[in-house]
Amino acid sequence: MNEDFLTPDADLLEMLDGVFSSYREAHAPLAGRLTLDREFWAELDELGLVRLTGAEDKGGSGASWVEGRALVEAAVRHGVRVPAAENDLLAGWVRDAIGIDGVDAVSNAVSTVAIVDGNGVAKNVPWAGEADTIVVVWLVDEGYLAAEVPAARVRLTPGENMLGEPRDTIAVELDSIIGSPVAAETVAELRRRSALVRAVQVSAALECSLDLALEYVPVRVQFGRPIAKLQAVQNLLADIATETSLARSSTDSAFTKALVEGWSAEGLDFLVAVARSCAGHAASVVVRNAHQVFGAVGTTREHRLHEYTRAALAWRGEYGAVRSWDLQVSAAARNAGPGGLWALIAR
Amino acid sequence: MSGTANIMPPASLITDAEMELRAEVRAFLAEQRAGGRRVWAVDSWLSSWDEDFSRELAARGWVGMTVPVEYGGRGRTFKERFAVVEELLAVGAPVAAHWIADRQIAPSLLKFGTEEQKRAYLPRIAAGESYWGIGMSEPNSGSDLASVRTRADRVDGGWTITGSKVWTSGAHRAHAFIVLARSAPLDTDARHAGLSQFIVELAQDGVEVRPIVSMNGDQHFNEVFLDGVFVPDSRVFGEIGRGWQQVTSELGFERSGPERVLSTFPLLTEIVQNVAEGRLDLDADLGRLVARVTGLHQMSMAVSGALQRGESADVSAAVVKVMGTTTEGDVADYADLLLGDGSDVTSELTRLTTRAVDQRPGFTLRGGTSEVLRGVIARGMGLR
Repeated sequence: MNEDFLTPDADLLEMLDGVFSSYREAHAPLAGRLTLDREFWAELDELGLVRLTGAEDKGGSGASWVEGRALVEAAVRHGVRVPAAENDLLAGWVRDAIGIDGVDAVSNAVSTVAIVDGNGVAKNVPWAGEADTIVVVWLVDEGYLAAEVPAARVRLTPGENMLGEPRDTIAVELDSIIGSPVAAETVAELRRRSALVRAVQVSAALECSLDLALEYVPVRVQFGRPIAKLQAVQNLLADIATETSLARSSTDSAFTKALVEGWSAEGLDFLVAVARSCAGHAASVVVRNAHQVFGAVGTTREHRLHEYTRAALAWRGEYGAVRSWDLQVSAAARNAGPGGLWALIAR
Repeated sequence: MSGTANIMPPASLITDAEMELRAEVRAFLAEQRAGGRRVWAVDSWLSSWDEDFSRELAARGWVGMTVPVEYGGRGRTFKERFAVVEELLAVGAPVAAHWIADRQIAPSLLKFGTEEQKRAYLPRIAAGESYWGIGMSEPNSGSDLASVRTRADRVDGGWTITGSKVWTSGAHRAHAFIVLARSAPLDTDARHAGLSQFIVELAQDGVEVRPIVSMNGDQHFNEVFLDGVFVPDSRVFGEIGRGWQQVTSELGFERSGPERVLSTFPLLTEIVQNVAEGRLDLDADLGRLVARVTGLHQMSMAVSGALQRGESADVSAAVVKVMGTTTEGDVADYADLLLGDGSDVTSELTRLTTRAVDQRPGFTLRGGTSEVLRGVIARGMGLR
């Protein structure tokens, strides 16, 4: 199997690093609720990054999720918080998949997506308060419906995750909007994509924690030598590397399966749950050990470590708590039964 | 690029051809299990010795798979062998008899053996009839392998070997083992120099095998005493003085294999059986463990992909082994925490759990302790 297409373009990677690092240099992250820097968003749009994976005939850049993932990872690496994944990989994808038209022609509009309940309410909608439009999905007797709603028509109660990223509660008057039918499988795909986006972000944050620690220990001197030479410290780092590898491998496997066999591939739900469980528990070890390595300075606002450790903790519980993913894997194991357990894992 | 990106090779999915092979093995194993005449066990690769089963597997082409046809093997790929072995270990099939010969000795013979040695040993290994041990550890050389004291002295036409080897699994039933011995005096500035490997047949004069009984009363380990055992030049293994390079060159294969992940998988399966029957509650910890085993399967698949491509995988293999052997043990402990004198579980679950907690300490010791492996990982990241 030729899997070259799973490697993002080197020029794109370099460009992404350049864009996010120069933005980051000029804009230290603030505490409190984050807002979207519209100027930066416009810059991303000019570079074709706002709808990176959208079809070209719909104003997108026609890139794949491999590039989409690279963009999300670059943002994590530089600690830049933007709704790139929500706008492009989730809302943008579902809009195009359903064939609903955007509410306006503004190319750099910001969108997010929410699956609301029968009352039109959804909690913890990422970036809703900063969005121009919200793609709303809801269930009626006949099946799922979706519509893109201007943010102005949505009642919003602000909320944030521990990073300050908007995670707002929205309420939509479902009676007042006309929805287009959506296949249940499309909604299932949206859930998979959403969950896996967070696994990608958690994995990237864990890798960055490792990289930061690897830069630090050779230069931090205690007892007359770099702490890198202390076996106890080496063990902390080895365990960070091990858990991070598990997070990356499980996320990669689900991602690769989705790209090779499609987002409706048999068994993908299980692999996504596995990735979320593995990445979620990996965060426990990595966050603990990384802070242990850095000592007190790692707990300060000034130090960059929290941009990765707090991010990993914030994201690992989004689109489902770690425990809920564990339970999903448990249920899959029980349903597979003793005769099917191994086939569930190795297929 | 980040540090971990350099450690783990990219994900490697199961191909259709590999899935077909797995299906064949699954069908065979299901048939065998239905027959019910064999023990399906925890840690079966170390302790379930069944020579008939080894021969049956060989007849189907699943022993010595990567050995070229001209030496009696099947000429298949490393990844195909990996798939078959995973399937065997997932059910706890009794593979101990041929395990070392198949995993370690055959590839080493192919790499370092003389033409005559290959012709002498490989066909019988691939037939599932020739069983081997490993002669590395000594009473005073565990993790610090370079400190071995077993001595090889040059004599007319060969070498004489004197010393003792310990933890030699299956030596009381095996035919031969490969002994690591010091063939030149220790140079403290180059401790890894002066080591060589020798093929010793266990029936030879001067070889004495004494059992070491495990804490649960089982016997699979032995101590092997070598008292001036003569090894002709034709049974020197590889090059004199290159023993260290030879034993360390294959560690990626040994450390990332399914036996570092699946030793307790039959127990995990039996837990699921009990959950499905309503004897145990469904809890999140089970899912955490199943997810971890799945992630480990994916990691070892990724490493096997790298090894197949001829890439070095020492560090990623160490990562798999540290986490895999810890997780195998976590499965044992999870089961043990569920069971008590008030439990209404299957007797099979009780049997497998007892077995697993007894075998558990060995998981993180054999094939490189977790402590040594963390050092390997640290070195791989440039800290040593």
